[in-house]
Amino acid sequence: MIELFHIWKQYQKPYWALSDVSLQINDGSFYFITGPSGSGKTTLLKTIFREILPTEGQILINGVNILKVPDHRIYTLRRSMGIVFQDFRLMFHKTVFDNVAVPLQVLGVGRKEIRRRVFATLQKVNLHQKMWELPGRLSYGEQQRVAIARAIVNNPEIILADEPTGNLDPELAFEIVSLFKQINKQGATVIIGSHDRELIRHFGDNILFLQKGKIVGKEAHA
Amino acid sequence: MIEKLKFFLGVTRNNLWQFRTRNLFSVTIICLSFLTVGIFLSLVNNLRATARGLAANMSIVFYLDRDLAPEAVEAIRQEISRPAFVEQVGLVSPEQALERFRTNFPDLADVVAGLKGNPFPPSLELRVNARASASQEVAAFVEGLKKRPGVTDVLFNRDWVEKMQGFSRLAGAVGAFLGGILILTSFFIISNVVKLNVFARKNEIEILRMVGGTNLFIRIPFWLEGITLGLLGSLLSLALLFVVIRLFPVYLGASLGALQELLRFRYPDPGQVLALLGGGAATGFIGSATSVSKFLKV
Repeated sequence: MIELFHIWKQYQKPYWALSDVSLQINDGSFYFITGPSGSGKTTLLKTIFREILPTEGQILINGVNILKVPDHRIYTLRRSMGIVFQDFRLMFHKTVFDNVAVPLQVLGVGRKEIRRRVFATLQKVNLHQKMWELPGRLSYGEQQRVAIARAIVNNPEIILADEPTGNLDPELAFEIVSLFKQINKQGATVIIGSHDRELIRHFGDNILFLQKGKIVGKEAHA
Repeated sequence: MIEKLKFFLGVTRNNLWQFRTRNLFSVTIICLSFLTVGIFLSLVNNLRATARGLAANMSIVFYLDRDLAPEAVEAIRQEISRPAFVEQVGLVSPEQALERFRTNFPDLADVVAGLKGNPFPPSLELRVNARASASQEVAAFVEGLKKRPGVTDVLFNRDWVEKMQGFSRLAGAVGAFLGGILILTSFFIISNVVKLNVFARKNEIEILRMVGGTNLFIRIPFWLEGITLGLLGSLLSLALLFVVIRLFPVYLGASLGALQELLRFRYPDPGQVLALLGGGAATGFIGSATSVSKFLKV
């Protein structure tokens, strides 16, 4: 479970990127965080991922206060999460296989096991036939699927996606969110930051509306 | 463990290849720096060996009064045999000295034949321990004996040994100074090359952090990269040094005469080879470690 208590974040005075955000996300949920540009979606996701620290407030993940985890132990938290960005953040000089294998290499998984798990994950995202291609030769939709494969290859409990469909046409965007939905059905908590109303309307079980860093609305359809 | 090492070596190999031009540049600089150190080292090796040879063959000759009774000669012999650094003492009679002169200088046979008597005095030839030959203790001992009744003169050529040792110290100091500056330069070059590599791989490092890579996991390939660059540079410098040692005498020919002996390079011994390789690896490691810890805040 992810619990946020009175989160405030200020990058520059007098503006608040997040203002008193409190939230509880149950295990296995599928969440959309939406709002206009600059509403605080990315800041909220980065705070959960502990890429940035809030100015005030507490964040508990499975009861652990992640703000008290020392910097040199942050990797333990990151290993339990998968993250997907709008700009994919792939290593373009490495093959699809190598890109997806990175989280397993970090964990020290053996070569045979890496091969097995990467292949199985690429099958899930339907990219197993392009395993040895360089990402630069793939379409945007395929590149984003590589990023998703990388995020799920070590079966994380939580998947965070920041505007994962921002660079994609509506058809591909639909395909990508369907993929997230499938992953969620297998048990992972998925939190997507997006401003694509069409997608949210179609897939949104839980929707959190942000504006100027404040929660201005919540919807739950599940 | 082996699996992990293989993984890191693979990453290092790929990274080295990816930025091969700038890596080749740093290997060249390290190679030239260590070549300079190596050349001075082999020059110092030669000077030291020459000084050792001179010291080992050095003798002190005490010329005695012609009219000295055999008992008095024996007393002097006893006296100069006493110090611990004395290895051997031999008495050379005037007849033996004349004979030696005849053998050593056959061209001067006419001069010897024209002599009315034997001009050579009896002498005591003393051989000292090679290590002690250039010491102050020996110099003081010789000075003391010069004033002893019965001793007319003393021949003590320690100047050459001292000069040779001085040359060797000077060459060592110049080598250490130049080599030190060049190694320091290599250190900064490696440090900057690794820094550039860190910047070039910022995206990759970001991804590694994102998926839970530890500091060590991110740093090890950069360290290995520095060590490999240092090792390759020093290995190449050793190969070039061996070529220089072989070709330099051919280049010089016989034009320098006696000086050629002093400028001869000697191959470094296995300990020195290991020290050069270790120095290369250490320069590479320290260069990359400082750069990584400074520019890779993870």
